[in-house]
Amino acid sequence: MRDLFIVAKFTIKDMVKRKSFIISNLIILGIIVLLFNVPNILNLIKGEDSGVEAEHSTNILIVDTENIFEGTLEQINNMELGYKVQVSNTEVPFEEIKQKIENNEIDDAVVVTKVNGQINLEYIVESLAMIEQMPEQLVNAITAVYSNLQISKLGLTAEQIQSLTPNFSFEMKQTSEDEVQGNQFAMMLMSMALFFAIYFCAYQVSSSITTEKTSKIIETLVTSTTPRTIVLGKTIGIGIVGLLQIAVIVATALISNALFLDEGMLDGIIDFSNITPYLGVVTILYFLLGYAVYALLYALTGSTVSKPEDVQSANGPIAIIAVIGFYLAYFTMMNPTSDLNQFAAMLPISSPFCMPFRVMMGITSIQDVLISLGLLVITIVVVAHISIKIYSQAILNTGSRTSLKEMLNMYKNKNV
Amino acid sequence: MGLKVEKVTKHFGEKLAVDNITFEMDKPGVFGLLGTNGAGKTTTIRMMLGMLKKDSGEITWNGKPVERKNVNFGYLPEERGIYPKTKIYEQLIYFAELKGLKKEEACKEIDYWMGRLKVEEYKNMLAEKLSKGNQQKVQFITAILHDPELIVLDEPFSGLDPVNSELLKGVILELVEKGKYIIMSSHQMSSIEEFCSDVVIINRGKTVLKGNLKEIKDSYPAKKLEISVKQDITNQIQEAGMQIDKNIDNNYEITIQNEDQAHQLMKKLVEQGILINKFELKKPSLNDIFIEKVGE
Repeated sequence: MRDLFIVAKFTIKDMVKRKSFIISNLIILGIIVLLFNVPNILNLIKGEDSGVEAEHSTNILIVDTENIFEGTLEQINNMELGYKVQVSNTEVPFEEIKQKIENNEIDDAVVVTKVNGQINLEYIVESLAMIEQMPEQLVNAITAVYSNLQISKLGLTAEQIQSLTPNFSFEMKQTSEDEVQGNQFAMMLMSMALFFAIYFCAYQVSSSITTEKTSKIIETLVTSTTPRTIVLGKTIGIGIVGLLQIAVIVATALISNALFLDEGMLDGIIDFSNITPYLGVVTILYFLLGYAVYALLYALTGSTVSKPEDVQSANGPIAIIAVIGFYLAYFTMMNPTSDLNQFAAMLPISSPFCMPFRVMMGITSIQDVLISLGLLVITIVVVAHISIKIYSQAILNTGSRTSLKEMLNMYKNKNV
Repeated sequence: MGLKVEKVTKHFGEKLAVDNITFEMDKPGVFGLLGTNGAGKTTTIRMMLGMLKKDSGEITWNGKPVERKNVNFGYLPEERGIYPKTKIYEQLIYFAELKGLKKEEACKEIDYWMGRLKVEEYKNMLAEKLSKGNQQKVQFITAILHDPELIVLDEPFSGLDPVNSELLKGVILELVEKGKYIIMSSHQMSSIEEFCSDVVIINRGKTVLKGNLKEIKDSYPAKKLEISVKQDITNQIQEAGMQIDKNIDNNYEITIQNEDQAHQLMKKLVEQGILINKFELKKPSLNDIFIEKVGE
């Protein structure tokens, strides 16, 4: 136990002191801070102060020279659609509109004309590159204003008017018993983040073991402690570093959110009501156990090579297993109530990327989580047994890469 | 007491790497483990230190099976290696702690040995920035800083310049004086002859010679004779039926068939009144014995 602690402590210290580790983490944190500042940067570029109301609204000039709307167009400002409408009943030449858009006085313009009894709306924007048609919301708003104007001329009672412009309330319902909560897109993104965190932390174990083998330090090491202690100590040490890395990244994101974004700006992307302490505990558990499975597999492959150039090919099969696990989780998440997604949440190679999000979506029971965690723990014990047995023999081999047949013989070898 | 290796065998698949090897080191000192490349020395060492399991046989230290808990050993492997991107002092502390030392004790020992081996100025440097010789001295420190009873040194002098070789020899003698059991594997026969009282020579996994080095050498008859005289004695040598290997200014190196032949020659030269400056019967060196035993 003392040796396990010493190996883990040395692994942590050795890793966090590396220049490459410090620089790559600073870059990641820098990117996070930068991403949270994108709205502020865009405002700076636009020359507007952040936080003013104008940043959320689109300024539209509506030119109605024939007064077809009879001064009712400004009602759009009260509809809370994010449009700030200026109405002009005098003609505004195209060049002047162009000038106003370039000077950021307005974002778009609509010129209303009547040709042969047909009302024509000409929508003028800076560029049509990303716009296929006039925004539906704006068309609806203008149509509603015109309809109301015409209805008001019919001399109808308030009830009649009310019946002509009904205010429907909408509700959603599903036939499946599992009720899906949360934003699926955000969950997929977070699943991807969890995959990369697990995969790259686990890969570090292989890299560390291969370094010890190629730098010939391993002979001194295995006379100082047992192979089991080396493998487990490294796995624990790198796992702790990975967890700390994630904690720092999450803390940076939270601080950046508080400092640089307006309150509620992320509400449309992440449903914070689904982020509970239970989900936090489940996510950390799956990160640690998922990491342990892949780290121990990588410990095995790392011990089978003697040259740094062989590391990639030796680790290939584990990378394939990890990618299969990830995609199984990722694609079945598009239909989270499917049997395949439930299977992915149980399968140890995919459950770390899948189960936390089933928990977040509220479509899994605690029993399912416990079964899935139990399967992961059993897998870890089996993989650890195989990896440590092969590691303790393969680690002293030099020369060519240990073949699969040799690994099988090593595992069968009772004299270890 | 001491180290006992009895009838130890090891296979790697079909290949027999060590075949029924037996030797014993029953008193402190330096024991020589010799053999050609691939003879089975490293496999024997690895089995002795518990890094590899033997197929059969017994390896004991003071009567107990060799396991980490029973033996406090230090090992300098032939394949040198230290963490290239880690500071020297940090990795020495790491190994010292793994060997059971507390941090304070480790620091004290490391400071002593770094000073003794003249590498204290590199303590805060990354290992990769050290010369090969200095890296070797650092690794030697990892083998001895926990004051082991049994020390295995595999090619301890390879890669060291004469000054550092002398420094290391001094440390080894210091360890012998402290009563340590040292097993030295080397291809440098002069080093083995200088330190070892007992040796074992392994060839293709088998023991081909073992015992006290002096007794082994004494058991070999002299095969060379060196004579230094004031005049040419080529005729006398040839008449005695001996072959001259080298003659530089009447300093002769001669191959003899037996020691009696040499004594007869000396008697004849004395009778002829020839002044003899040097007359030495040369026993075969360890190098000669090694080549004779393991040479193809």
